[in-house]
Parts: sequence; structure tokens; C-alpha cells
Amino acid sequence: MAINSAGVEYEAVPEPYAETENSVDNRKDVSDRLLRIHNVISNRFWQFAALTGLMFVLGIIGFVLRLASGFDDKDVWGYYVAVFAFLMTTTSAAPMVAIAPRIVNAHWRRPISRAAELWTLAGCLNLILYIPLIWLLPSLENGRRSLWFYGHQASKNEFWTGFESVPAYSPHIWATLAIISLVVLGLALVWISCLPDFAVLRDQGSGWRKKWGERLSLGWIGTSGQWNWQYHRMGVISAFYFMMLIFVHFFISVEFLMVHVPGWIDSLYPITHAHNALQAGVATVMLTIFCLRQFGGYKDYIGLDQFWGLGKLLLALSLLWFWFWFSSFNLFWYAKKPSELSLLELLISGPYMWMFIAEFLLVFIIPWFSMIWNPVRRSVWGPPLIAVSVLIGTLLDRIRLYVASWDAASRDFASMLEMEMSEVPDKILAPGITDIFLIVGFIGGSIFIFMMASRLIPVMNIWEQKEFLLYKAEVQYHRAKVLVLGKPR
Amino acid sequence: MQEHTQLSQKQINDELLRDVLTVPKWWLPAVVGLGIVVATGLGAFSYMVYHGVGVTGLNRPVFWGFFIANFVFWIGISHAGIMISAILRLTQAEWRRPVTRAAEVMTVFSLIAALHTPLFHVGRPWRVLYWIFPYDFDRGIWPNIRSPFVWDPSAVGTYLIASSLFVFVCLLPDIAILRDRAKGLFVKRIYAFLCLGFRGTPRQWRLQTIAGILLSALVLPVFVSVHSIVSWDFAVLIGVEGWHSTIFAPYFIIGAIHSGVSAVAMLMALAVWLYKLDNYIKPDHFDAIARLLIVVATTWFFFFFLEWVYALYTLDSPEIALRELQAFEWPYGPLFAIFVILSFVIPVPMWLFKRFRRSAKIMFWTTILVNIGMWLERFLIVIPGLVRRTHMTFDWGTYHPSLVEILIVVETFAFVALGMLLFAKVLPLIPLFDVKEGVVFRHVIKVGRKTVPASIREGLPHHYYDKNH
Repeated sequence: MAINSAGVEYEAVPEPYAETENSVDNRKDVSDRLLRIHNVISNRFWQFAALTGLMFVLGIIGFVLRLASGFDDKDVWGYYVAVFAFLMTTTSAAPMVAIAPRIVNAHWRRPISRAAELWTLAGCLNLILYIPLIWLLPSLENGRRSLWFYGHQASKNEFWTGFESVPAYSPHIWATLAIISLVVLGLALVWISCLPDFAVLRDQGSGWRKKWGERLSLGWIGTSGQWNWQYHRMGVISAFYFMMLIFVHFFISVEFLMVHVPGWIDSLYPITHAHNALQAGVATVMLTIFCLRQFGGYKDYIGLDQFWGLGKLLLALSLLWFWFWFSSFNLFWYAKKPSELSLLELLISGPYMWMFIAEFLLVFIIPWFSMIWNPVRRSVWGPPLIAVSVLIGTLLDRIRLYVASWDAASRDFASMLEMEMSEVPDKILAPGITDIFLIVGFIGGSIFIFMMASRLIPVMNIWEQKEFLLYKAEVQYHRAKVLVLGKPR
Repeated sequence: MQEHTQLSQKQINDELLRDVLTVPKWWLPAVVGLGIVVATGLGAFSYMVYHGVGVTGLNRPVFWGFFIANFVFWIGISHAGIMISAILRLTQAEWRRPVTRAAEVMTVFSLIAALHTPLFHVGRPWRVLYWIFPYDFDRGIWPNIRSPFVWDPSAVGTYLIASSLFVFVCLLPDIAILRDRAKGLFVKRIYAFLCLGFRGTPRQWRLQTIAGILLSALVLPVFVSVHSIVSWDFAVLIGVEGWHSTIFAPYFIIGAIHSGVSAVAMLMALAVWLYKLDNYIKPDHFDAIARLLIVVATTWFFFFFLEWVYALYTLDSPEIALRELQAFEWPYGPLFAIFVILSFVIPVPMWLFKRFRRSAKIMFWTTILVNIGMWLERFLIVIPGLVRRTHMTFDWGTYHPSLVEILIVVETFAFVALGMLLFAKVLPLIPLFDVKEGVVFRHVIKVGRKTVPASIREGLPHHYYDKNH
């Protein structure tokens, strides 16, 4: 008998213990097997890396050609901004697939968390792509709607008292700081997360890998203090990364999209943009782990549980995408304000209608109708195919929104403070060869960076796999063998 | 859950059915007191029906007042049940087990409270029939289905039916236990009828589990649609500045989850104090719900921030004038400050400290503050937008709620409390089968010198157990 806090006696039942397989041999076996896979590089890997490298070169050519075209014509930069937004949407959001499940202690994330984090390295490319955009962003003096409530707007109403001294280049300053912070936080996250694995490379690797591990492991030997430090730092950086990601998408969706279209006032859109990034981030990781499983030799580690977990997430995010989109669309369509109708014409019912329909099918209808079936979610092929659909749909979405908006901006720049567009573009701005180079090149470039990073850093998180041995046990439950998972605080 | 108390199945039955099969001393006075408040509210409503809506403070141009703010508030509270029960069930959060039933039941009663407020608001509730029958058969005048006021009853009605079904399905195994334990023949027969012959066969358990998961998944879209539709009552209008904002749907929903989950935390504290359920609701449960609340409250605050930023971003003079009225002018300015302080500034920083998160008392009082703040939020959305002078307004004034409105609003709170008390008298407020399942699933794992709580993982693919994994 035991006594509870109220002083009442109760019959306590002993809690059943579950035996884990956390022996030294098992832990070493995990390290050895993962390092063995990491050290093997197939010819196919180099062939694909060469292909993506070639694409990257095309991207650099496109980048130079675009720079040579100058900054006066805004409409020619539409595809460039769309590629930048697409990469921010996919590569920068992918680490959230490691961060969010780690916070809620979901064990299925262990084999995929490193792959998700490694995409932040491609964020460096986004930073380079961002630099020319600073010159394209109109300053507040040029007369445009702004989040910064600039002086001449402030003078119209006493409510703005105190905002007169806002610098005319506030958007440039803050957007730059936000994007740099996101990249730095991403790099810090990868590094701290990799420390124990660098130590494994140092201790068990050879040649340049050993030196690389020695230099980057910062003397990691796995003391309790070091583990506590690592958990704590990863928690703090993850939280800041998430907040900065939302903040960056807030900036991008406002400064590079909404301010360019007269009358586009949609308080929900920054959330939709950020949410779309989470959806595309999940799709990116899904496709990555599929490739790692099929071609990278990680079949024993990346199983149905990972596809199932990510599949459920992708289904939920696809449904939420529809809800966010509909919440904005419904209001515009129902209220029928002239400014809102012209916006709908620009983005949905006008020249970009077919692109919108294709995107709607790829981002919402196909994921919804396929992923509600458990056999599709619980398969190795189903979720990655849906991920391809989501990624193509997201690229179409970014092209539709950014190209259309920058086209409208080039016509209506003088009247950006108006509530309605004076002229809605009547045809799609077709991509030129430079635009195609940019799209193909920078997507290929991101994949190239990821592939190269996967040679330097183990793409499977070794320490998280070993840690899993501490919390995983199999027990007999009646006639079935079931898995027992520990949930540490 | 570190402080888990492993109990035998018999003890769980005994403890959780104690207050159903016996009558606590405080129960009758509480029911009588709440009954008097409800009767007073209904009396005020009768007075309003007799004398007309002129006895309320509603007048040109403020036609929506306390009733509508209260309607939005209760719809918000109703989101607790699905948030706690369906979402946490689907995500297999173990800590949900003792709190799901109370949250679901609160959903049902708060939806009824929400529904009767707009009915009172129209002054002649029998006119609800106009939504079913044409206004005028001869001239073929039908209700305008494009009106948000037709969407509302459809959405709220669907949510009420779905939530009631959800509660009922989850109650079946517990009603079966009551059938077996009840003393009087009449009571036994009622429970026997209600449990639909549940005997606990493997097939019945399988069906019950599938029904629970299916209903959880199906009720989620309804959960989202309800408050979206309520928000669109406001947002589709372009005539009232401050209301026509695309963020309203998610902003209303996250606000609803904030107030709803806070209400559940408050109920948990009450359950510990009134029903002595501290074997089931531990500081760890308060800790878990407080951490959930930190995330929800912060998200809500971000949406609130965006709503304000975009109001100013329009550079539209009437919109800015409305914001000045909301935030700086008497009497709304002080209410605005109270709303922000109570719903975010005080509770969230407090919940950051583990010591406060694990205290039932602190959680009780902070969540009450949240709900006072969230009621004010709804008031500040509804009233200032209508009070403000516009170009086409030929009449303006301010709004003072009358005693009749106050009594009816108080009645809704008493109604929900009374409903919960009556429910807890006939059916257990903590799901017995869910708690027992938690006990069966629970294990511990030794990590070094510490023991870590563990649980059997449900629903893994069979391939997971292959040697390769």
C-alpha cells in the first residue's frame, strides 16, 4: 500500500520494466555501420554530383547575365526573385523537419534529422542570390506602402508620431539582417548538432576525415557537461531558427511581393507564405530521405516509420494550405472590392489561371486525395511521389506570384500607394533563356551543395541513432511483440 | 510523466465512479446556486421577449453588443474539446488521457451556450424557423444561403452534433461499467440502454477505437470551419473598418484554442480540488498543458500583431481612426490594455517558470485571467468597429450594456458550469477506459541511474519489427 498527497492509502501496482539493447557493443555497431556507409562513395553519386554541378554552372551564367541586364527593368527580375523565394521556401524550411519532431520527442525523426539540417548549408546560396535584390527593393522615399510607416506617411496622421525618423532604407537593413541571421543560425545548428559525430570521425576515421573531425569537434569527448551544453544550445538555436524563419518569410512576402502590387493588402499572406515553406520543407526532406534509402545505402535505417510520420505531416500541411488560401480568397471573392477583384484577376483568374489550377492540383488536391489513404502514407513510394507533386506545385506558385507581381510593379511603380492597379497584365511573362538557366541552375546548385556536404558530414545522425538504443525496447504483450519507447523530459 | 501513480483497475473504477455513485456534500448547494442564476437569466430573457429588444443597450449604430461578443467567446471555449481530445489523441500524447472527457463535455455545453446567445440576440427566437421554411410561400422568399448568418447555424449545429457523437462514443465503455455497478434497477436499465450492449469483446474494442480515431479526424475540419465561419460573419463585411481582414479566420481559431485550452487547465484544477482526483491529474499534467499554452499564446500574439500591423499598413484613415479608438480612447483604451495584459503579458511569462507551470493554483488563476482577457478581446472586436462614425452614418452613439444583457451573459456561464456538474453526477468526468489503457501501456526504462517513463507505441507498421529495423 502507498499513500498519496492527500494522505489517502492506495494500492500501488509495480511498473513493468522494459529492457533496452543499450550495450557498448550495440552502440559501437551502430557507429561502425553508419561510418562504413558514409565512407563508401559510389560512381553513381559522382555522376549525379557532376550533373548538378553542371546545372550550377548554368545557374552562375544566368546570374551573371541577369546582373548584366541591369536593375532598371523590374519585370525581367521576376523569375530571379521567384527562384530565390523557392529556395528560401524549400532549403531554409527543411531543418524544421528536424527541429519540430525533436522538440516533441518524436523518435521517428532520428534517421532523418541530419539530412533535414544539412539543407541549411544551401542557405548560403540563398544569401548570394539575395544580394542583387537589395538594389531592386524600392526605398521608402520612392513612395510605396511600407511596414515601416515612413515619415511622409507619418506626417498625414498624428497616429504616426514617432515614426518620422525611420530610415528610408529600413526594409533593406532589416531584411538583410534577418536573412543573414537565418543562415548563421542554420550553420550554428548544423555544427552543434554534428559535434558528437565529428568526434566519431576524429576517433574512428582516417586521413582527411580524421583531421576534419579533429578540427570541428571542438574537443568533444562526451562528458555530461558537454551533452547538457549541446542539448541546451540546440534547443535555444532551434527556437530562434523557427522564429527567424517565420520572420524572414514575413519580410519576403511583404517586401518582395505585396508592396509591389497596388491594393494587395492581405494580413494572412505572410502566414500562408511561411506555411507553404513548411509544406515544401517536408516535401524536400521526404524526397531526400527517399534518395538516401534507395541510392545511399541507408535502407536499414530509413523505413516506413519515417515516411509514415512525414506523410501525416504533409497531409496536415496540405490541408492547412487550403484553409489559409481559402481564408484569403473567400474574403476577396465575397466582398468584391475593386482592388481585391483586380488582385484576383492578376493572380488567379487572369493570364496565370492555368498555372494556378496546376498549382492547386499539385499542392492541395493530389496530396489530399492520395494521402488520406493509409496504404499510400505507409508506403515507401507514395509519400515521395506526393512530395514531388508538392515541390513542382510550390515552384509554380512562386513563379505565378512573383513573376506576376513584378510584372505589375514594372507597370504601376509610380502608383504603388494607390488602392487599385491601374492596369492588370494581360499575358504571362514568358521565361527567357537566362531565366531558365537561373531556375535549373540554382535548384541544381542547392542539390550540389547538399551532396558535397553529405560527403563531409555523416548524413545520418550517428549520435541520435545511438541515443535511440537507450529509449527503445521490445516487450511481449500477450501474443504480440510490441515496441516500447521512452519519452525523456 | 515522471510522477505517475500506477493504480489497479479496481481502484480506478472505485475512485472515478465515487462521485457518480454517491453525492458529494457541496454538490447540491452548488447546483441550486447555479440553477438560480440560470433561472434569473432566463427570466431576463422572458422580460426581453415581452418588452422587446429595446430593453437592451443595442441601438443605432451598435446592433451587435454583449450577446455577439459572448457568442464568439463560447464558440472559442468550445474549441478546447477537439484541441485536447482529437488532436492529442491523433498525436498519441499520453498526458491527454485524464483530461479528454472534461474537455469534450465542456465543448458540448459551451456550444449550447454559444447557440442560445444569438437566438436571444434576435429577440424573437422562434424566427429561427425562417431558416427552415420560406419567409413567404406565395412570393417564394427563401433564406439567403449566401448570407454568413445561414453559414453560422449550419457550422455550429454540425459541430454540436459531431462533438456530442464524439463524447458518446468515448463514453460507451464507461457507461457499461456504470451499468454493472449501478444499484437501482431503473438506473441500471438506463445505463444498459445507453451503453448499446457494450461488453468489452475484442470486436467492440476494435470498433470503438476505430470510431474514436475516425471521429477525431472527421471532426477536425468541422472544428476549423466553425470559428472560420464565425470570423467571416465579421470579415466578409467591407462596411466596418477593422473587420475586413483576411487573417480573421486563423486569428479567431488560435484565439479560441488559447481560451479553450486555458479553460481546460482551469477545469483540471477544479477537478483536483472538488473531486480529489490528484491521483490522476498530476503537476506533470499542468506542466504539459502550460507548455502547450505557451506555444498557443505566442502564436496567437503573433497573429494579433499581424492583424494590427496590416491595419496600419493600409494607410486608410478610417481604419487608423478605428485603431486609435480601440487602443487609446475612453472607454476602450483601458479595456484594451487590460485585455493585452491579462491574456498575454501576465500569464505567458509566468508559464515560462516550471515552478508556476506545475502549480494547480497558479494555473487556475492565470487561465482565468486569460479568459477574462479573451472575452474582452471579442468585445473590442465587436463594439468599437460599430461605434465609430463613418461617412454614411446618420446616427452615432456609444454602447452601454443593460442589466438584461448582463444577466443573460452571466446565465451562459452558470449554464455551462451547471451542465458540467450535472454531467459529472451521472457520468465520470475522467475516462476510465482511457486511464486504464494508459496503465496497461505504461512501462519504465532504466537509463543509467534514472528511470524514464515509456509507453507501448501504437499503430506501427508490421515491418517495423523486422530485424533490419
